[in-house]
Order: sequence, then structure tokens, then C-alpha cells
Amino acid sequence: MNRTASAVIIGGGISGVAIAYNLAKKGMKDVIVLEKGYLASGSTGRCGAGVRMQWGTELNCSFAKYSIEAFERANEELEYDGDIEFKQGGYLIVASTEKEEIQFKKNLEVQHRLGIPSKFLTPKEAKEIIPYMDESKITCATFCPKDGHLNPFKTTDAYAQAARRLGVEIMTYTTVTGIKTENGKISGVQTDKGFISTPIVVNAAGGYSKHIGELAGIDLPLYPERHQILVTEPVAPLQGPMYMSFSMNIYLQQCPEGSFIMGRGDADEPHDGNINSSWHFMEEMAKTTCELLPLLKKLNVVRQWAGLYCMSPDRQPLYGSVKELEGFYLACGYSGHGFMFGPATGIVMAETILGQPTTLPIHTLDKDRFARGEEVWEPSVV
Amino acid sequence: MRIEEHPILSFKKGPKVRFTFDGKTYEGYEDEPIAAALHAAGVRTLGHSHKLGRPRGFYCAIGNCSSCLMVVNGEPNVRVCVEKLKDGMVVETQKGKGDLR
Repeated sequence: MNRTASAVIIGGGISGVAIAYNLAKKGMKDVIVLEKGYLASGSTGRCGAGVRMQWGTELNCSFAKYSIEAFERANEELEYDGDIEFKQGGYLIVASTEKEEIQFKKNLEVQHRLGIPSKFLTPKEAKEIIPYMDESKITCATFCPKDGHLNPFKTTDAYAQAARRLGVEIMTYTTVTGIKTENGKISGVQTDKGFISTPIVVNAAGGYSKHIGELAGIDLPLYPERHQILVTEPVAPLQGPMYMSFSMNIYLQQCPEGSFIMGRGDADEPHDGNINSSWHFMEEMAKTTCELLPLLKKLNVVRQWAGLYCMSPDRQPLYGSVKELEGFYLACGYSGHGFMFGPATGIVMAETILGQPTTLPIHTLDKDRFARGEEVWEPSVV
Repeated sequence: MRIEEHPILSFKKGPKVRFTFDGKTYEGYEDEPIAAALHAAGVRTLGHSHKLGRPRGFYCAIGNCSSCLMVVNGEPNVRVCVEKLKDGMVVETQKGKGDLR
């Protein structure tokens, strides 16, 4: 199979399918998405799937706000015959240190400038939102009622189906083995199923983005970090909002069908791409959960899994073109928030590839910002 | 019906105890699985499927399948196939998903 495409997107997660959908919607023909497993088999399908506008930089706040508003409309806009299960039960972020409290107040200022309806809560007010929490473990919290979570598989499927209807070809179980360049330009992609001639390659490979960069001869300042999640048996609806703590390293939610999902990462682990599950995680996660939300100790765990964050030096994405290699575009390095940025990624990447002005500014998110010393640090990542 | 003889396993019979299931009093043997006592008493429906409410019976018998989740002494989601029977236990059919509150 030797063939030609106008653009090849590497990665069948939310970013890849959202970019493909937007490119096709803007009229690009012959867009191909390559995925080495099944759709959402990487970071997208393994993520906690929480979405929040409560960030610390204006940039992340506006990307998240755009995306959440897009998720609200997604079932209709993508004409999805299923349901992406967007539950806007809010997002409660608790602080347990003075440092966090100071940061939260700064974050709220940024959020309020952008019209994000987040608010400051005392421990007592936080307890009114999740009555079974141990409020003595926290010093304050912030809450945004528009935040929430959705089903990452169905959301990816919704974009993928819409993209296919617009003519996008999605090739699953297809591994990229090489990226061909000629005179500083992209000329094609070698896969285990044949060669595809193309002038444009988008690296949306999530935890494997660094490797894709290497295939193109571009060194990306990224590394994978294992995060683990466990899921419990379903119980009757108990908790509306997501619960999160940076300092205690936990994100936790109850899915619409009743299961609780909770997860965390360990920044001190080797960055070797390991996605096995560990006993250590199970024990520590359970301990933290039982301390913060004692009622949940009654839940039985059904299973656990792991996935990869693709970490960038300043915890913000790498977007846009690469000046050393014409036709090579980056949509990676989300550092744990690639799923929730999916709709924004789709639109800005399509626009930048087509040479259009971008809906949201991405000029500060190029990969060379680190060399220039112009990192944009995001303080609120878990 | 109880399994009295088994080629590999031996079943020690504890003293006879009384428990209630959905308000009715039953007898069983202490430390046998609650499900064994219910089965011996002729109870065949242990739970219901979440979506369609279809009856669910004794199935995996090793605590894996969630077919026999019941409310025991007020605790939801108890797998009665692996939970030992004690004197005076209050066993109830679980309606819908377990409620932690």
C-alpha cells in the first residue's frame, strides 16, 4: 500500500481526531490519522477525564474554557448518535497548605478576568458540596460549577465518526516506523502497512511524542510520566463534583453509572514509559482517599490501570510548526491535560496548518520557547 | 440443597443460626457463605440487573461477578457468596446500586 495524503496525523487520541475533524471541516481532503492501537488506546482512554477551567495561567484558562464550551455542544455539533456523557457537576479543588491557598487566590484572579465562574470556599462551605469529606484536612478550596468530566472513549468516537463522515481516513493498528524528509521538508511517513507521501505530519502521539520527534530527527523536550487510576464498583449517585488536591496528589470523581475513579502520578519514578499497574499505587491511593473522604472506604475496587502524561518543561503544550522541518507540526506535551484541551487543540492546529489566524493564541507555545527562556509555567498541575 | 460431599473440599458445619432475609426468618449454619444458606432455603434470585431489572442468581460463587450483591446488616454491595453467615444477620435484597449513605 503506497499512497498520498494532504496531511498525516500521528495519534488516534482526542487530539488527533479533533485535528483531523477540524481540517476536514475546513475543506482539507485526504487527511489520514494513524493509530498504532485502537482509538483512545493511549493517554486519552486512560485519563481521569476531568475538565476544569480552574487553571493558573490565562492561556490554560482560555484553552479549557473554549474546550468546555465545545464539550457542552459536542453531541449536537458532531451529530453524535451516542452520548459523550458530559457531567458538569463542578470541580472542587482543595488546598491543604498555605502556599496552595496563596496560589489559589492568584488563580482565581486570572480566572475571574476571563469570566470563569469559579469561587473561593472555606472548608465549611466545601463540606456543603461534598458532605462526607473530612474538612479538617483542608485550609480552603475553590469551586467552579461549569467544570466536570466526560467519557474519553465516547468523546474520541464522536470526533472520529464526524471526521470520517467528512472523508478522513482513520487507520488503526498501524504503526509509524519512519518519517521521511527531503531538504528540510516532510515528504512522507513510513508505516508497517506501507508508505504515505505527504507534505504535512502532525505529532499528536501523546506519551510517544518524543519518539515520533526522534523519527523526524527533531529533539523534543518531553518525557513520559506514569499515572495510575483505579475504579470502584458502582454505587448510587453520591458525589456531583470532581475532587482534587495538588499537594495530596489525588483526583477523584463519580462517573454517571456510579463507579468512582481516582488517580495520581509519581513524579519521582523513572521516565521509562512503563504503563503497568502497581500495588504501591493501590495502597497509597486508598489511604489518601480514606483520609480525605472517609465514607468511600466502604467501596470495593474493581480494577486499576496506568497511562502516560507527556510532560513538557513548563507543563504547557507544544503547539504549532517546527522551524527546522517544514511541514512538521506539534500537538503534544500536554502534561496531563491533553484530553480536556481536545476541542481547542483541534481548532488551533487546523487553523495553523492551513495558515489561518488561530482562534486562541499559540505563538508562545512553540517548542523553541525553552531555548529562548520564555517558558510559561503552569502552577496548578496534578 | 447443600453440598454435603465434595471430592476435594470438606465442609465443616458450624452450629445452626438464624438470620432474616427481606424480613423473613431463615436458618443456616454459622460461617457457611450467606448464599449457601439462601440456596438451601430455596432462594434463587439474589439480585437484579441494573438496566432491565432482570433477576440474577448464584453465578460465579467466588466473589467476582457481582451477581449476588446484597445489603447485609445495612452495608450495601456485600458479595453473599463469599461472606460468612453469622447469627442474627439481617440480609436484604439490594434495590438498584448500593447506597453508601
